[in-house]
Parts: sequence; structure tokens; C-alpha cells
Amino acid sequence: MLNNTVSAATSTQAPLMKRTSHGWRLGRLNLALRQHMSPWLQALILACALVVGLGISAALLIAAGVKPSALFDEFIVENFSDPENLHSILFQAAPLIFVGVSAALAFRVRFWNLGIEGQMIWGGIAATAVSFYDIGPPVLRLPLMMLFAALAGMAWIIVPLWLRVRWRVNEIIVTLLLNYVAFNFLLHLLYGAWLDPKDNFPHSPQFRAFERLPELGFGISSALVLALIFTALSGWLVMFTRFGFYTKFVHDNDRMALAVGVPIGLVTLVSALFSGALSALAGFVIAAAQEGRLTQSYFEGYGFSGILIAFLARNNPIAAMVVAVLVAVLFVSGRSLQVFYQIPFAMVQLIQAIIVISVAASEFLMRHRVHWVR
Amino acid sequence: MVAALKLVGVRKSFDGFVALDDAEFEARAGEVHALLGENGAGKSSLMNVAAGLYTPEAGQIFVNGEEVVLTGPRDATACRIGMVHQEFKLVRPFTVVENVLLANWRGRFAPGVREIERQIEKQAAELGFEIDPRSRIDELSIAERQRVEIIKVLLAGARILILDEPTAVLTDEEAVRLLTTVRALAAGGAAVVLVTHKLGEVTAFTDRVTVMRNGRAVALLDSRATDAAELTRLAVGTTVASPRRASSPPGEPRLTVKSLQATRADGHVTVNDASFYVRAGEIYGIAGVGGNGQTELVEALTGVRAPLAGSIEIEGAGDATGASPERLRDLGIACIPADRFGYGIAGGLSVVDNFCVGHINEGTYGSWLRTNGSAMREATAEAVGEFDVQGVRALRQRAALLSGGNAQKLIIAREFTRNPKVIVAHSPSRGLDVRACAAVHERLLKARAGGAAILLISDDLDEVLNLSDRIGVMTRGRIAAEFEAPADRQAVGRVMVHHA
Repeated sequence: MLNNTVSAATSTQAPLMKRTSHGWRLGRLNLALRQHMSPWLQALILACALVVGLGISAALLIAAGVKPSALFDEFIVENFSDPENLHSILFQAAPLIFVGVSAALAFRVRFWNLGIEGQMIWGGIAATAVSFYDIGPPVLRLPLMMLFAALAGMAWIIVPLWLRVRWRVNEIIVTLLLNYVAFNFLLHLLYGAWLDPKDNFPHSPQFRAFERLPELGFGISSALVLALIFTALSGWLVMFTRFGFYTKFVHDNDRMALAVGVPIGLVTLVSALFSGALSALAGFVIAAAQEGRLTQSYFEGYGFSGILIAFLARNNPIAAMVVAVLVAVLFVSGRSLQVFYQIPFAMVQLIQAIIVISVAASEFLMRHRVHWVR
Repeated sequence: MVAALKLVGVRKSFDGFVALDDAEFEARAGEVHALLGENGAGKSSLMNVAAGLYTPEAGQIFVNGEEVVLTGPRDATACRIGMVHQEFKLVRPFTVVENVLLANWRGRFAPGVREIERQIEKQAAELGFEIDPRSRIDELSIAERQRVEIIKVLLAGARILILDEPTAVLTDEEAVRLLTTVRALAAGGAAVVLVTHKLGEVTAFTDRVTVMRNGRAVALLDSRATDAAELTRLAVGTTVASPRRASSPPGEPRLTVKSLQATRADGHVTVNDASFYVRAGEIYGIAGVGGNGQTELVEALTGVRAPLAGSIEIEGAGDATGASPERLRDLGIACIPADRFGYGIAGGLSVVDNFCVGHINEGTYGSWLRTNGSAMREATAEAVGEFDVQGVRALRQRAALLSGGNAQKLIIAREFTRNPKVIVAHSPSRGLDVRACAAVHERLLKARAGGAAILLISDDLDEVLNLSDRIGVMTRGRIAAEFEAPADRQAVGRVMVHHA
């Protein structure tokens, strides 16, 4: 009787996935963990992933009614031949750079800051408060708005940071949910005390001229310059300082980092505070350079974009800047597609998501060696 | 008589490390068969092969004389092999019934629950267990959870029962009760494999014993015809000649630990009233069976875990109880952790980073605003040469690519270049080959000659005996006895086993 059971077991169908010594066997495909991979092959895989992602995106756009010939026009020709469009891209890039670098700094120490939008809201509110209550002389107005914005962003991230460091509360949930708190407070202000008396619309009164970030000529906004300065600062911080050296250890192996004397708490604290401040500055530059006032939707979509930029840039601030510019191209082209083809803006987010998934999937090929089993 | 379970020529390696090499094993129905060996001898790996969790690279598995191929635990269950793992495989928020049901699926849910419940009660009554099938796993004690595991595999029809270190988590009384139950199961015709490193259990409760060493079965004996001394000799093997200690008078106590108490992550007090001191220029060895509080002691001494009570004093700095790892390192403590890739090295980072992180706060590699990459590379290159770290093709290569021995040398290079006052070395030669092991020992003796106070904590009794000036035996979280250097192996071993 026992023999029957045994033979039944051996004759069962081969499982679809089978665990082997170093990985999983999927049918006739064998997967093994890679020890090492040359940077060139990595770049090639990444490029292939991008091509696949863009291909799927193009197919979706065509299915939504965009002519194939128009795709090339909208994304390449229009954007880079027309100075007006180039201007909008650089203009759009500034807040994206801020959120991208913000996410990169937090993710470097594995602090999963999903509260970028909440911090942006607070940055906008703090900057607007400086304008609304006429704090400081006109000359110092913009620096004060910036400072208040940054401080507000830091203050907003302190709660999840403290909960995480002191009580090990998962910051993903806390930062994410605090976004709703910030958003409702914003609505409270815009529909209440800060309602524009001129038109009774739910936005703050227009900023005065000296409260707006100036254009510097050649289509360059001072917002972009600020974004570049902060990128350079963050880049130097993570690449050249002792703090940056420590962040690598906190990211790679925090148990080891603790044992070897890395001040984990301090490193996490500084990174997260910087991240909060940079997100808030994104809110500030949108309010002070793009909208010229506090509106109720200026932050929408930036949280996700920030995460995506940091992910694609592998948490490197300088690379985040480059990726942010590319995402800006997508944003701007998306807007014109919206106007000319009635394609919803959600399509832009869909494209972002498809590209992220493609790149994330390619990481699997970088970590595993795939070969056929004969 | 045909063996119920037979493994022949099993080979299994993990990322180049050979855990099992041509291992053999057989257990008969109706016997309790002990699988004895030191930590890392390959006992658990071999049994994981039998349970279908590991796919061996070579070798055959026979159940009741028929060759079987196990592609997963499900196949093993079909062959009526059941294993109770050291780490219980239970879903904590689920009830006993739900956990048993998860492993023994019954066609329909609600009738299945009722059926399983009846079966659990019946099985529990047969074994003399008192278990409420409706209680949640996290309400149960460790011993009760283990009983749930045993019922789970028995209800799956297991006639070959593998228990991996079942008594390691139990009190003496609970252990005796379990082993008595196990004997009853064997009397009922099951083949029971008892994985253990406790000699007392082997001689008192088993019929036959297979001794493993370095991934091989080295002996198969009748448990009643052998004794602890022979088993120890077989499990440990012949000792390798080790570097000689030069005799030198020790200095003042550098590290003094008094009545230290510390808990494991789950809140269990594992270091309980440990007191000892280590003098400059001596090696104080702590011997003991693994899991008697050694890990938590190391964690408390290096600042990773805050002690519950007691004090840690460092000469010249006074009381350092509960200080942070940074502070303790500043005071001159260095550590060689047992889990070298978990706590000693950040595998994803370069050799340079891993070397320099230990002393970058001293300012040798530039100010905090600007680290000096070339100074870091130069210092690392020099240390890699001096400490003979091999396999470094490029300094920027990921440290995870180093072999265990070379990773250990890199850790020693990082820790010893600071000229530490106190060195805490936890199983520094675990998993290393003979040459790497000798190199590590030589470094420890050199540091001793240089006047450092060295605390050597090891599961490997020979390592402790050969290197130490004084030996403390740690059992149940405290130092049960102390011996002066040349210590009698048998005497030390007796304290280890009898108090454990």
C-alpha cells in the first residue's frame, strides 16, 4: 500500500515552478542568481527595457486615437525645435527635480517617504502664509517664503520620522495618510480664511510681483536655477561627504552599520529632514513661479513622479535631475496631447507607470542569469 | 530489513560552500535514530533534503527501498515523510485547526474544519498532549507549538518523522516529556530521526546514532554500545595543530562584566547573571553549546543590544553599560561577529567602503565635508596586503564576492588596525577552512602579544581550549565554571553538557 503512495508521488506531473539549488526552475528555463554583471550589459538591458516601455506606451497612445506620425512630432520635433515648448519643459522640470531629489535622499537610507505631496502642500501653505501676512520686507520676501516652506516640510516629516525611529512604526503608512491630513487642511484654508476676496474662487490671493520667482531670460526661470543648486548640494552631500558614505551602509546593511558604529539614527534623521524640505520647496516653486498663488491641486501627481524619478535614477541626485527633465518632456507633451487629442492626463501617469514597470522588470534580468536547460 | 528512509551519496552546496559531500543516512521503522554533529556539520541540510526542501546536486533518496525524487515538501508528505523544523512553520495569528488544515487540505472547508478538529483531538489524546484546537498559535507556549507541529505532520500521515533540534527550545522537563513521546511513536512503528548535538539525549533516548562531520556521515553506531567520549571524538574529529601561545604575564583587567542580564529579540532572558573579567594580554575563552546566551552577550558588549541589568566596565573609561556602538568603539572595543555577512560586512558595498567604515570618524580619510577617496584606497590596499586578504581583484569590487575566509580577514583588518584595547571575537573561525582558520588564530595571538584583552566566544571547544589563557563555560546565560589554561577537555565538556 505504501508503495502505491510512493509511485504516485514520483509520477506526479512536473511542477511548473521548481526550486533548485540557487533559484527557480520554470519549465525548461533555469534561473540562477548572478554574482556580477558588467556595466555595459546592465546599460544594454536598461535600454531594452526603456524601448519596450516606450513601445507599449506608443501602442496605447495609438489605440487612444493618436496618429503614429503625430507621436514622433509631439514628443521629439515639437519639444526640441520650438523654443516655447523647450521653455515649458524647463519650467516644468524645476518642481520635478525637487521631488525627485527629495525621494532619492529619503530612499537612500530606506526611509520610504510617500508623503511628498503632503510636504509640498505644507511648503505651499508656509510660503503663502509669508505672503498673506506680509512677513518681512519685500527684499527678503522670497528668501523668507523659501525658508518657511523648507521648515514646514521638515516639520511635516518629523512625525513619521519620530514614530519610525522611536517606535518602529512603518513610515510608508504614516507619510501616505498624512497627505490627506495636509490636503484637507489646505482645503480648509482655501475655502475659508484664504479664499480670494476678488473672485471668491478657492485659491489664495495673487502673490505680488516681488513674491514671485523671476524669469532670468533665455527662457530660464529662477526656479530651475534653485532646483539645480539644490541638486548640486545634494549630489555633493551623498557623493563626497562622510554623511553620504554612511548613507550607503544604512542602505545596504543597517544591522552591520549599527554594529560598526555608523550613527544610523542621525543619518536617517538628516536624510529624511532634507527630503521633507526639498519636497516642500517643490510646492514653493510651483506656487511662486508657476501659479503665483496657492491653488487646490498644484501638487497632484508629483508624489508618484518623485518616487519614479528616484527609482529610475537609482537614488542618485544628479541622475534624478536628468530623469526629472525627461519626465517633464512627458508632462508637457501629455498636456498638448490632452488639448489636441482629448487624451486624459491619466494617460501620462499610465505611461510613467509602464516605464517604471519595464525598468523594474529588467532588474530581474540583472540579478538573475537565465538560460535554457537541455 | 529494508530501511524506511535511506539517503545515498547526497551532495549539496550553497554558493560554492559545500554543505553536504557524499552524505549517507538510513533510519529503520520502529527506531529513534539520532543524527549528531556540531553546528554546521550538515545535519539540518541533510534532513532538508529528505524533507524535499533542498534539491540535492547528487545522490539518491530511498523510501522503503524504492527510489523517490522529491520536488518539494508535498512530495515528501506523499512519501509519508514529515519534518518538524527548528523554526516552527506555523502561522501565528491562525488557530491550531487552521494551521493543521493548511498542511492537510480537506476537500471542503467547513466539513474539513470539523473533521480536522476531531482528528487533532484524537491524535492529541493518543500522544497525551493537551491542546485546544481552537486556540491561536500565538497564545501557545513554545512547547505547545512544537506539539502542534508534531500533530500536523502526523495527521499528514508521516511514518518517517524528522525532528530538527527539538529540545533546543525546551526546558529539561519538557524535553524529557517530548523524548518519551518520541519513543512511544517509534514503538508504534514510525521511524523517528532526532537531529541533535546533545550527547545526553543520544545515549538516553535513541537506538542508533549517525555522527556527521563536515558534511559527511562519519559513523553509524548503536547508541547503547557507545559513550559520550567516543561520540565527542567522532563529532569533533581529530584536532588540528594550532599556533603555540607564548606565555606572558597578563596585565590589569581591561573588561569587567558583572551580573549582566540581556534578552533575546523575543523578550526571553538569555544572558542571566553573567560575570567575568578579561585582562590585558590574555585570551579569555567562553565555551558552551550554542544558544546559551552567547549571541546576546556579544550584542550587549558591542552596544547593539541594551542590557537589562548588570554592568560592563572598561579600564580607563569606567562604566560603559548601555553605551552606543559608536561610543564603545571609541573606548577601544573591536568586534569580530559570528555572522560575518550579516553583521561584519555590507556585501553590496566595495572592499574599500567596508574597510574604511570602521575608522572614518577618526578623520584619517578627510574631514566630514570631504572624504578623501585616494587616502581610503591607499589605506585599504595596504591593509589588504598586510592582512593577506585574497580574492580582491579590484578594491572597488563588492565585498559579497569575497569567500568567507577572506571576508573574515577583511573584518579583522578593519578591526585590528585601530589597535583596540578589547577584542570580542565570536566564533571567528566558523565555516573557515583549516588555513584561513589558522590565519585567524594567528592574528588573535598576535593581538594578545600586543597587549589587547581578547574575549573569544566559540561553539568550537577546541578553538577555545587551544587559544585561551582562561576558560569560562557559559550555560543558561551565565558562566557556570572557570578553568585555567591547560584545561581538561573532559571536565570542560562535562560542564557544557550537564548544565545545558
